[in-house]
Amino acid sequence: MLKINNLHVKLEAEDKVILKGVNLTIGSGEVHAIMGPNGSGKSTLSYVLSGREGYQVTEGSATLLGAALLDMAPEERAAAGLFLAFQYPVEIPGVGNMTFLRTAVNAQRKARGQDELSAGEFLKLVREKAKTLKIDADMLKRPVNVGFSGGEKKRNEILQMAMLEPKMCILDETDSGLDVDAMKLVADGVNALRDAGRSFLVITHYQRLLDHIKPDVVHIMADGRIIKTGGPELALEVEENGYADLLAEGV
Amino acid sequence: MAVALAKEDALAARLAALDLPQGGFTRAARAAAVARLQALGLPGKRDEYWRYTDPAALTAVAPPTAEASDAQGEVPVFDGLDRVKLVFVDGVFDPARSDDPTLAGAEISRLATADAADIHWAQGIYGALEAAGQNPVPRPLAALNTAAATDGVLIRVTARAARPVNLIYVHESATSDAILHHCIKIEAGADLTLLETGPAGARFNKVLEVDIAEGGRFHHVRTQGRDHARRAATHVFARVASGALFKSFTLTANGALTRNEVVIDIVGDDAVTHVAGAALGDGATGPFHHDDTVFVTHRGVRCESRQVFKKVLKHGAIGVFQGKILVKPGAQKTDGYQISQSLLLDDDSQFLAKPELEIYADDVKCSHGSTTGAIDEEALFYLRSRGVPVQEATALLVLSFLADAISEIEDEALQTEIFTVLEGWLARHKA
Amino acid sequence: MTIVENELEVREGVDRETVEAVQNMGSYKYGWNTDIEMEFAPKGVNEDIVRLISAKNNEPEWMTEWRLTAFRRWVTMTEPTWAMVHYPEIDYQDLYYYAKPKSLDEKPKSLDEVDPKLLATYEKLGIPLKEQMILAGVEGAEGLVADARKVAVDAVFDSVSLGTTFQAELAKAGVIFCSITEAIVKYPDLVKKYLGSVVPQSDNFFATLNSAVFSAGSFVYIPPNTRCPMELSTYFRINAENTGQFERTLIICDKGSYVSYLEGCTAPKRDTAQLHAAVVEIVILEDAEVKYSTVQNWFPGDEEGKGGIYNFVTKRADCREARAKVMWTQVETGSAITWKYPSCILRGDESQGEFYSIAIANNMQQADTGTKMVHLGRNTRSRIVSKGISAGKAQNTYRGLVSMHPRAKNSRNYTQCDSLLIGDQCGAHTVPYIEVKNNSSRVEHEATTSKVDDDQLFYCRARGMDEEEAVALVVNGFCREVLQALPMEFAMEAQSLVAISLEGSVG
Repeated sequence: MLKINNLHVKLEAEDKVILKGVNLTIGSGEVHAIMGPNGSGKSTLSYVLSGREGYQVTEGSATLLGAALLDMAPEERAAAGLFLAFQYPVEIPGVGNMTFLRTAVNAQRKARGQDELSAGEFLKLVREKAKTLKIDADMLKRPVNVGFSGGEKKRNEILQMAMLEPKMCILDETDSGLDVDAMKLVADGVNALRDAGRSFLVITHYQRLLDHIKPDVVHIMADGRIIKTGGPELALEVEENGYADLLAEGV
Repeated sequence: MAVALAKEDALAARLAALDLPQGGFTRAARAAAVARLQALGLPGKRDEYWRYTDPAALTAVAPPTAEASDAQGEVPVFDGLDRVKLVFVDGVFDPARSDDPTLAGAEISRLATADAADIHWAQGIYGALEAAGQNPVPRPLAALNTAAATDGVLIRVTARAARPVNLIYVHESATSDAILHHCIKIEAGADLTLLETGPAGARFNKVLEVDIAEGGRFHHVRTQGRDHARRAATHVFARVASGALFKSFTLTANGALTRNEVVIDIVGDDAVTHVAGAALGDGATGPFHHDDTVFVTHRGVRCESRQVFKKVLKHGAIGVFQGKILVKPGAQKTDGYQISQSLLLDDDSQFLAKPELEIYADDVKCSHGSTTGAIDEEALFYLRSRGVPVQEATALLVLSFLADAISEIEDEALQTEIFTVLEGWLARHKA
Repeated sequence: MTIVENELEVREGVDRETVEAVQNMGSYKYGWNTDIEMEFAPKGVNEDIVRLISAKNNEPEWMTEWRLTAFRRWVTMTEPTWAMVHYPEIDYQDLYYYAKPKSLDEKPKSLDEVDPKLLATYEKLGIPLKEQMILAGVEGAEGLVADARKVAVDAVFDSVSLGTTFQAELAKAGVIFCSITEAIVKYPDLVKKYLGSVVPQSDNFFATLNSAVFSAGSFVYIPPNTRCPMELSTYFRINAENTGQFERTLIICDKGSYVSYLEGCTAPKRDTAQLHAAVVEIVILEDAEVKYSTVQNWFPGDEEGKGGIYNFVTKRADCREARAKVMWTQVETGSAITWKYPSCILRGDESQGEFYSIAIANNMQQADTGTKMVHLGRNTRSRIVSKGISAGKAQNTYRGLVSMHPRAKNSRNYTQCDSLLIGDQCGAHTVPYIEVKNNSSRVEHEATTSKVDDDQLFYCRARGMDEEEAVALVVNGFCREVLQALPMEFAMEAQSLVAISLEGSVG
């Protein structure tokens, strides 16, 4: 599904190297988690993969289902099946959530050569998906993320994921700012989308989200590299001992 | 001295080129307007309120030629609405294209015909609101209009008007110089929606005087045609009495030069006045210069005023906003708000603003804000990461930017019409 | 360690002194007049007077010519009328353009020889005794001043600079701090190079008049890579009647240097209005930084609007090279008329300009003040924080310009302009000009106008404050952001001034 090979990235504005050779392969239907202390480069990885400006790839490659990801525009990556659930979803005043969703769904369908959804079809679909995420009609009518609580924003991200049906989902600190109930709701939404043809990369600082979204593989990231890879037990180890020991090992 | 003389000459030449109507009931008002104009002179670049807009094309003896643009099969705006259509072609009333001007709750007449008589209900309005609006900021082009207007409509609204009135300004001649003057009187508790559409002529000078009595309501929605070369100076003078409501929204797309002045005098208490505008300019299809000059005077207590102006500019387009809230002594509990924002889609465009507050009462809440900048990169990336191509994403963010101004239109059907026009414009001006 | 303690002690001492002094003030503390024998030039202005002023200051020929060019230009100009201030026509031929205490003709040997009235003036101004000696020109007095309070002072009394303290110590650091008259004679190359380079002779009516007749003011030159060892300060005082004061200040901060400059102004109470038309020019080179703080407390006129200073001032800083920084902070409480727009030309890439202002207008005062931020270089930044307070029958206007030129890519401006009204007879106005000519820059402007919050007042009074105290407290809170931008000693003085300026505005 996703193959990252020796990825080096620096911040354009500050000429600062953030990623120093990341290697990662995620198979179809797998759920991987990346954990690591603040500033280890976790979020940078998610932004570089989704095509945000301001980062320069100095070395390495990334492919999604064999296609070179790093040469594509953000919307092309999305159409190719990549989805990033933002840590801080952007507010867009004046654009209704429904309009936003429909524009996105149809843009992707168009890019893939599929027919656009009719208003009726779309409405039916969005209502069905929204219901399982406990997103009410009012939230769909309001402008994108404007005035949404932290939990509502994250649920809205998962709703977009459900509507866009991507193949490779990256969740960037989706648990940040959520209480236990909200986290459970979001995790249920994600779990409902797990299937053999869809992979996940869950980026998180804490282990607690991984109680709800069970990963197949856990990676520990530090100083721009993956320093350790293991099973779900690795996350528990971090939970108990913190990052310090692992970082010491890594050096 | 030389400047003053040159100004006098310019005015004499301008007046000489006009066939000033003698007028019936407007006779005294027209004569007074000529005198006013002579005292003021035509506007010049050195005038404080013309520092950002060169009035030369508006004051020249003849208008620069302006071809009417091809509508390219676009459905005319408001076409689906049930309304009374009154059509002016290059400033001349066209009865054949107009509806029968009968409207339950209102009485409609043409200025050109009504002015044959010496007495008319509009006598106290024609030129009177314009004259009152000359202080403290002179508006010579409006005085010129009062003196020289050849036609217009006079509407007296006595109840809730059954349908909106739509003034449709058709532009056909490349050299037309349309001068229209409308008077509207909303009687106590009456209600009218006025729609104005179209570019009107190669050059257009318009005055709309609106007198709203106690509890009257006036909704005004206009779209200024997208002809690239047309030039327009429009003025709205409104007198707003106690408990009355005045709401005006203008959408301007293209046009070489547009100066929209709105002068509102809130004379009563507890009145509400909102003025909003959205302007879209693409210099790639010809020069674009758009100027909103708004002046709201609060005299009564507990009144609310809002000014919401948004501009989207690219390829060397220029947007101007000069807005003022004047709170007179004693106008306590005034709630005045003003926002002017521009979105510059590229590095060539300009936004020039002078948002003013002048306040002589202490128990008031007045604020204004003004921002200028490029499109929000964060939001653009968010949309693109969801698969929306960059042009479509930009269009969506432009609509988002304009939404606050458009939401000033109360009627949802009218809002939808405006969004349709906007989407059409954005589709045509993708690059 | 000991040094720190010493500094602390002194600082506290000064603050206490200031507070006490301020508490003892009447409605205008500086309203006394010093009866000193003066030497005047004849009334009025013409080429001969310009030559006379130049001669009195022992100026070289080029300077006389420079003045005359300005004068010839001035006679063709008309007084500007765009500001929201109204005042009776000024008769420029009915003013004295040069006044100097006679006692200064010969340098006194000790304090006993100094005109006691002059010393009394300094005392009332709050200038410490030993500094008074220096200012009075007592020979060798400089050595007597303890190192503790490091503020070098230049005092200007009507048309003449009386002397500058700490010159020797400043000289050690290579800093030049003297009167402009002295600089013209001693440092002609620097003066020739920079005078009029920020505010040209033809800039505006008042600046042009100043260029022709200025006769006092300070000159500062900070050499490259020097942090000025102490704060520099000028006290201006208009004493003589019917006298215009036209000082000219020129500050040059060379590459990589830093200076903080304080300016204080007072004038006696007089029934007739007095004219003050000053020019301040600041040149800031690469990586240099200048802070310029003003507490302007000219006599504002009485409650009926009689007398007071007409303050028409042109102040401008030119951030001429990359990463130059300037910060203007002003507390404008005095003057009958204030017409003043300290400006920043952000020419160097990544240069920065800041403007913090408190303008208080009470009784019949009229203030029209603000700033200009002209962004010419790339990545330039500016910030404007303006707090206007109107009381009595006063009119207070913020007038400002933010201009982003096409070349000024990626620049930013943020403007916050708040007005507070106390009473229903006054006015508060905001007239910003915003001109943006590129899209990589971002300009944000916010302005609010409101009255003193009743709930806040009530809360204070419920805790035992009287209405005036409560208003002063709330107003100080309103001004906080600007007060914090002032150097410590000035901040205390300014805070108390805020309260005094608003006396009688309640009830």
